Amino acid sequence: MGLFNTKNKAAGKPDGRVEGIAKVTGAGKYAAEYKVDNMCHAVFAGSTIAAGTIKSIYLDNAKQVEGVLDIITHLNKPAVPGFASETKLKETRFGLPLFHTDKVYFRNQPVAMVVADTLENATYAASLIEFTYQEDTPTVDFKKAHPSVPLKMQGKERGSLDAWSNAPQVVDQQYDIAAEVHNPMEMHATIAHWTADDKLVLYDKTQGVVNVQRTIAKIFEIPQENIEVFSEFVGGGFGSGLRVWTNGVGAVMAAKAVKRPVKLMLTRSQMFSLTGYRPAAWQRVKLGADNDGKFLGIHHQGKNGTSVFEPFQEGITSITRMVYNFDNLKAEQSIVPLNLGTPTWMRGPGDCTGAFAVECAIDELSYQLNMDPVALRLKNFAITHDPENKKPYSSNFIDECITKGAEMIDWKQRKQQPGALTEGDWKIGYGVAVGMWGAGRGNASAGITMEKDGTMTVKTAMTDIGTGTGTAMQNMTHTFTGMPKDKIKIALGHSTLPTAGSQGGSTGLSSISGAVSAVCDALKKQLADYAAAINPAYKDAKPADVLLSATGVSLKTDKNEFVSLADIWQKNNLTDISVKASSGPGAERQQYAFCCSTAHFVKVRVNTKTGKVKVERAICVADGGTIVNEKPAANQISGAIVGGIGMALMEEIHADEKLGNLVGNDLAGYHFAVNADAPIIEVAFINKPDPYVNPSGAKGLGEVGIIGCAPAIANAIYNATGKRLRDLPITPDKVLV
Amino acid sequence: MNGKNYYSRRFFLKTSGALAALAAIPATVKSFYMDAKRLIIPPRQKQPLIVKVNKQTHKLDVDTRTTLLDLLREDLHLTGTKKGCDHGQCGACTVHVNGERVLSCLTLAATLPGKEVTTIEGLADGDQLHPMQAAFLECDGFQCGYCTPGQIMSAVACVKEGHTKSVAEIKEFMSGNLCRCGAYNGIVASIQKVAK
Ligand code: FES
Ligand code: FES
Repeated sequence: MGLFNTKNKAAGKPDGRVEGIAKVTGAGKYAAEYKVDNMCHAVFAGSTIAAGTIKSIYLDNAKQVEGVLDIITHLNKPAVPGFASETKLKETRFGLPLFHTDKVYFRNQPVAMVVADTLENATYAASLIEFTYQEDTPTVDFKKAHPSVPLKMQGKERGSLDAWSNAPQVVDQQYDIAAEVHNPMEMHATIAHWTADDKLVLYDKTQGVVNVQRTIAKIFEIPQENIEVFSEFVGGGFGSGLRVWTNGVGAVMAAKAVKRPVKLMLTRSQMFSLTGYRPAAWQRVKLGADNDGKFLGIHHQGKNGTSVFEPFQEGITSITRMVYNFDNLKAEQSIVPLNLGTPTWMRGPGDCTGAFAVECAIDELSYQLNMDPVALRLKNFAITHDPENKKPYSSNFIDECITKGAEMIDWKQRKQQPGALTEGDWKIGYGVAVGMWGAGRGNASAGITMEKDGTMTVKTAMTDIGTGTGTAMQNMTHTFTGMPKDKIKIALGHSTLPTAGSQGGSTGLSSISGAVSAVCDALKKQLADYAAAINPAYKDAKPADVLLSATGVSLKTDKNEFVSLADIWQKNNLTDISVKASSGPGAERQQYAFCCSTAHFVKVRVNTKTGKVKVERAICVADGGTIVNEKPAANQISGAIVGGIGMALMEEIHADEKLGNLVGNDLAGYHFAVNADAPIIEVAFINKPDPYVNPSGAKGLGEVGIIGCAPAIANAIYNATGKRLRDLPITPDKVLV
Repeated sequence: MNGKNYYSRRFFLKTSGALAALAAIPATVKSFYMDAKRLIIPPRQKQPLIVKVNKQTHKLDVDTRTTLLDLLREDLHLTGTKKGCDHGQCGACTVHVNGERVLSCLTLAATLPGKEVTTIEGLADGDQLHPMQAAFLECDGFQCGYCTPGQIMSAVACVKEGHTKSVAEIKEFMSGNLCRCGAYNGIVASIQKVAK
């Protein structure tokens, strides 16, 4: 179970992630890949309208398809207790009463589900189901819908708008961002297997097995501990795996109905409607400064789209409160219901959206002031204290990030005058922007089992979605205990392992590092106690004094007091040792504010004939505290930049205004950055430990890498062309207009 | 064959012909066509197939609609080959057929008699990783690992095809393999390492 085989290492295999061999050989099992006896397949049929009511369903054709076991619709569904009433539905926090309503809220909403012996039969049968509807007019165009939705105060106002009404320098602009879809490469999938009337095994693509347990328990009203969830390998998430979606609930319903294990994997097109997205956003930023570039105040307004059946608000204006010193700050937000699926957190949620507007507005101000945008930012950073709650930052190196990044890209080459660098049809420009994210930490537990030969398995329920959590756990365990890495195995992503929260919000590493540190101490203490039966020098040994090796324990104070593991086992009559420990944030959270940050620098080429934008260099300097594992950490950041390039230049969902359907909802129609769209990305770290965040000093990096990337690109395009483009994505048509 | 629901191809052709002739009265045609369509539910067709996958010969009876990708994943339980789109748009399902890179989701299993398929599971030589697998491990050419088998199969072919003369060329010839984690730095580095 989730045991990553490290034995190849001994055979002289290259160093890599703990789960690396499983990934490069195809042996690692993702949700849809478990072999379960007697399994059948479920496929959704989606609504062909975006708003209205189902009037009739014609199933006869579909029923004739060979191998069809059942077809579930709202008319014949096995009743799900969590969907029995409005109140219950609210409690489940699931949003959509799947197959428990005749209402259609968005196009492609699952309105029927075929269960059949094979995927081919289920897919064919689903295509034969016909519906008639009473159709309403859908609202899907965010840009058209948002002006009529009023704004509401968001958080407390700092100072007042009046205080800077006479600011000599003002930028007042509006910014738009199209909706983006996470599109992890693995499509969301679930295998559901009822092993008894109230016992369920799930193989699910998720960023948090405990969240799946909790949600499914609520919806089906069975005890949480009766649900076993496997999510050992997760093919990306970027936020889409932080919720349970219809594939999970659908598979469980289907398995109950046909009394067989059921696999349900969404199609790529369904992924666009059924697993969340970063909602479209509109923002207005009014920024005031004095003539020397000192910021006087900011007024930030933002709206984002949501579904008609579930409110979802992005924290668009939160980042405005953290990065710079604004004595006066007012934020307003609202949400705009649309006939689309419900959006959800997507990498750098809220901050990524907010940073686009704020970082572009600051850039606009820099040109207005004729001041270097790096210098302008350095002048206004809030380095020592969180400007919102006035707590001192535990550590904040955003200034070092921007200074180092400027050096790396050779910022001197940039011309303050836009459009000054030209090569044939290409215009060249440089851009900068920064990102910040609160360095969170949650509660987490971990366990260690030590076998006779000294092999240790470090376990937690947390998933590794590609962030390198497992590898980091191995590194930390090695650091904390001294045990060689090839003796440390990792088990992850299974609900019976020690509880931990979801891998999300960049808290995974931070939370788990505390748990690993605690469990390593527990193991050392336990070993010292056992060793004391052999050697009295261990009697009052503290965990910090105990060192492990492949063969035994010794004391830091006196290496000669070695006790072999063999002796420990024998003397204490043991077969193995198991310890468990938990940890979480403490009083430090009352005293300090925590953040991680990035500075992004890009050099772009813009073709004046075709409008093509080529990112020639992309540099990111990040403050993520101690870097526990450099390669995966750099990989996280460069991957985030690839995401940022997509956000800036290509990613957008189009919805057809009349039909309410998404246009181009596949990987040919929806572009994100391919290999050739990204340069070799240059990443550097400040790599200084944060003294208070957690025992490892590491701050999460998953989100902050993408925050600030898109505005850096937009700012570079302005520097290259003199065109200020405030509407993402910046596609060639916009560049050419 | 199920007599009640079985209509011959001839019947269908005849019906379609009638539809063409009646095109002038669209409303009637449409309902007539819908009626005709409702009755024609073709039964599943199976076909015997002998195919070599990773040097092992399989004798199978395959649904004519089954893709090589689903054959591998669902029938042979070789789940190393990944499904990322099922439409030939992402490269996650890349395998080698007779030594060439091929998208298994766009390849019907029924077209495979006599062909030799290699998947990610067949790339290593026992415990000895293929140099490209080792390079991906060492250069951290992945994060979540879901696109990785496809990337590696493509990368092996990319080297064999000789498209490795520059970073730009590697990037171009690896752009049919999407990586949403954005591990492109490591993917390029891995290929450079092996191509050297
Ligand atoms: S699954 Fe075949 S190309 Fe995407
Ligand atoms: S490693 Fe996750 S998609 Fe490529």
